[in-house]
Amino acid sequence: MSEIAGVNRREFLATVAAAQGAFVLGFWLPSRAEAQTTPSPNAVWYQDPETPEVNAWIVIAPDDTVTIRIAQTELGQGVWTSNAMMVCEELQCDWSKVRPQYASANRDAREKAPEWTLKVPGQGAGDPKGGGEPTFGNRDRTGVSGIPDSLYRRMRTNAASSVKDGRYYLQLAGAEARERLLLATAKLWNVPVTELIAKNSVITHASSGRTTTYGQVVHHAAATPHPHPESITIKSPDQWTLMGTEQKNLDIPQKVTGKVIYGIDVRLPGMKWAAVKACPVYGGDVKSYDFEKVRSMPGVRSVVQFPIPDPALTRGRVFSGGVAVIADSWYQAKTALDKMPIEWQIPPENAAFNTANMHATLVAALDQPGRVRVNHGDVDGAFARAAKIVEATYSTPYLPRARMEPGNATVLVTNDRVDIWIGDQSPQETRLSAAKITGISEQNVYLHLCHLGGGFGRNGNGPQAEHAIMIANANRGIPIHMLWTREEDFIGTTYRAMGVARLKAALDGDGWPIALEVRTGMQGGGFGPEASFDVTSRYFVPNYRYSSHTTTFHVPVGTRRGVGQAAHEFYRESFIDELAHAAGKDPYRYRRDLLARTSLPYKDDMIKALDMAAEMSGWGSPLPKGKARAIALEERGAEGNGMATISAMVHTVSLSREGKVRLERVDVAHETGFGLVNPLSVKKQIEGQITWFYNDAVHQASNVADGHIVENNFNAFPISRMSEDPPEINIRFFPTQHWLLGMGHDRATSVQSAIGDAIFQITGKRYRDLPYAKHDLRWS
Amino acid sequence: MAFELVVNGTSHTVDADPQTPLLWVIRDQVGLTGTKFSCGIGQCGACTVHVDGRAVRSCSVPARTAVGKKVVTIEGVSPDGTHPIQAAWTELDAPQCGYCQSGMIMSALALLREKPTPSDADIDTQITNICRCGTYHRLRQAIHLASDLMKRTARAV
Repeated sequence: MSEIAGVNRREFLATVAAAQGAFVLGFWLPSRAEAQTTPSPNAVWYQDPETPEVNAWIVIAPDDTVTIRIAQTELGQGVWTSNAMMVCEELQCDWSKVRPQYASANRDAREKAPEWTLKVPGQGAGDPKGGGEPTFGNRDRTGVSGIPDSLYRRMRTNAASSVKDGRYYLQLAGAEARERLLLATAKLWNVPVTELIAKNSVITHASSGRTTTYGQVVHHAAATPHPHPESITIKSPDQWTLMGTEQKNLDIPQKVTGKVIYGIDVRLPGMKWAAVKACPVYGGDVKSYDFEKVRSMPGVRSVVQFPIPDPALTRGRVFSGGVAVIADSWYQAKTALDKMPIEWQIPPENAAFNTANMHATLVAALDQPGRVRVNHGDVDGAFARAAKIVEATYSTPYLPRARMEPGNATVLVTNDRVDIWIGDQSPQETRLSAAKITGISEQNVYLHLCHLGGGFGRNGNGPQAEHAIMIANANRGIPIHMLWTREEDFIGTTYRAMGVARLKAALDGDGWPIALEVRTGMQGGGFGPEASFDVTSRYFVPNYRYSSHTTTFHVPVGTRRGVGQAAHEFYRESFIDELAHAAGKDPYRYRRDLLARTSLPYKDDMIKALDMAAEMSGWGSPLPKGKARAIALEERGAEGNGMATISAMVHTVSLSREGKVRLERVDVAHETGFGLVNPLSVKKQIEGQITWFYNDAVHQASNVADGHIVENNFNAFPISRMSEDPPEINIRFFPTQHWLLGMGHDRATSVQSAIGDAIFQITGKRYRDLPYAKHDLRWS
Repeated sequence: MAFELVVNGTSHTVDADPQTPLLWVIRDQVGLTGTKFSCGIGQCGACTVHVDGRAVRSCSVPARTAVGKKVVTIEGVSPDGTHPIQAAWTELDAPQCGYCQSGMIMSALALLREKPTPSDADIDTQITNICRCGTYHRLRQAIHLASDLMKRTARAV
């Protein structure tokens, strides 16, 4: 047991737990009971003897409180609630007594998943009784999906996959525990287990009327293995009673009282604060600094220079080197850092980048052959006999996540152990970083998850953890809380890559496309075409060629809500609108007809979404001058037979003569697949993404000048307020016969093309580069 | 330099440079972390608290300006989280990540005290806080619901 500044580690952790109050939200920590007793050498370090765990997900207390361990990070998507619902549905416990708690990332890495969670039940995406098609992706721990077959299967929070991947084994975890509670009770009462019923944490023997509660038999259940766990089945949606109902998020009471512990709120005894400045030009480093100028300022303790974080730890992305001032309070550290002279060493080739020359490089690349990804039919032949050719080039800018909570992490490095408190979407990657940076065995890296103040694209791929670990490693024995300013957060984030696309269609005499040629240009690593988000024709075109062009720039790009797909849907849906107008046809009917001609497996679902959204919106009914409606399809996965998510939206947009855009009304038709786990969270995610993509469409762009990002706080980087929220949002769900692929990051991408088309309908002018607000939209 | 600050009805002796923004004194000296830091330049409103009943962006005012006045933070809205505005937020499940919500609630509460029945236009002009999750749609409904609940509660008292 390490000693930290005279504080025994157990006492130290207990102090942290006590500081959070009775309801410990945010941390996985040994409970106070464990902290106050001396464990026997054989005791399992994560177990509390007072409240035994039934399995790795479920702990039941004598008072029937059920703690459900959640392996994904809560960042507003409602995962603490939806994951708990999936366990509770099968466990048949009292929902009002469920308490979510973060699963231990350290334990996840140490233990293998139970055998009975490894096999996905059922026959894939089209089987309502099965587990769908969870995709754990490549099983490289530094890749997308984490440690192969680790205890919790997946501790990432990404790609809208928490429900899609977790559902079957969270249901199984609940079912396994329920069965063992029943088996233990049957043995105690000496009755056949088939005569027992479990409901609401009560076990009843039907014929005798005898009852007990989970809390009373949990010790026996914990000691009762299931003889055939592989025989346990999960409920299908027609049997759900909790799943599929609207449930309020379990942590809302803490969120309206200021009690949630985000990473920024972590306080440890003896903790010092670090403020950071990293070179604003990526790839740059510190040339010199003069700590003596600020050493005597109030509270100031020390300074740490840190190098560019090893790109192997940040998925190949090259951030910057920097310097941190450490002080008793963060404001003291920041004040001193602001006054400390720093000179940067900036690679001249990176300083030469600016928005205009980067954009020009991408556009020029479109004239090169590129990498052909799809080529079917005779594209050139069809163009040669076209009645009309339509061509358009679209552009989308760099975009940051700009989450509300600036990057931060609290790290304590001692000689044999690292503790990290952080809101993190990829904790196993962060543990690996800590081990590599400190040289301490990864087994001894403990990551304590906190809630995140917004995520919007795997938080862990920025260097916030690496900065904090490097600074703490230089200050062993002292807990260091590193916090970025808002300006640093704009340097530390990864961006959605700037992108361009040229779409060219050959139309026949009736205005239908007979050939489509698509070329996209995007910075490599930007989760564009290389992640298969092709601008594939979901609409029928007999001859089709798609090629992609990737370029190398210095801005770290990657996972941001919607990734490259959001840009691609803007290109595709905008162009379909342009073709419909060129053909003199209604954009809704044009889409519908082109979908109907395909042989795509989910074409009926896509048509249903369009029909429903159009009907909801009063499509075709007259609107006053200055208002227009536009429709678009949103889909992911619809090219195959697998999981997919399909929706359509109609956006009613007004444009004042002074050029002010307003999203007046949104009508959303969204499929449920076989079932949504928590429809309330789905509605909230749709509403939120309407705002998200409204901002992408109308307001937001990150520009590059002399190699650095220009907009680095909310005065320069605009985010819409209440006054721009659409007054009316109507959401309607419709059932479909497959499991969903997830909907947390790519719904409402249609806002982008719809506003552009509405502006075109009102003014006759089409703007193909986002954001629209940079254009003069006045009309008369 | 030590000075007295009254936060949520309790007097605290604070040892800090009085020029330190009120936000950091509340978070680090008084120890109440419900009030959030986000932009540091008074743009986003995540740090909103009440000073003598007025909504103030605490990242951008020196702590000394609050000396002798009553500071109320999210923790002081109600002892048990049952204030009508908190009930309204909960009823509509308004927060997503929740990070901006302390500031949102403090801004909305100031509006409701000034205008017990705010119009949508009042909300548009006076609630200028940023929410990146895009909870605005539910927040507008929650403000109207809070207005109803506050009037009903007032009648009951």
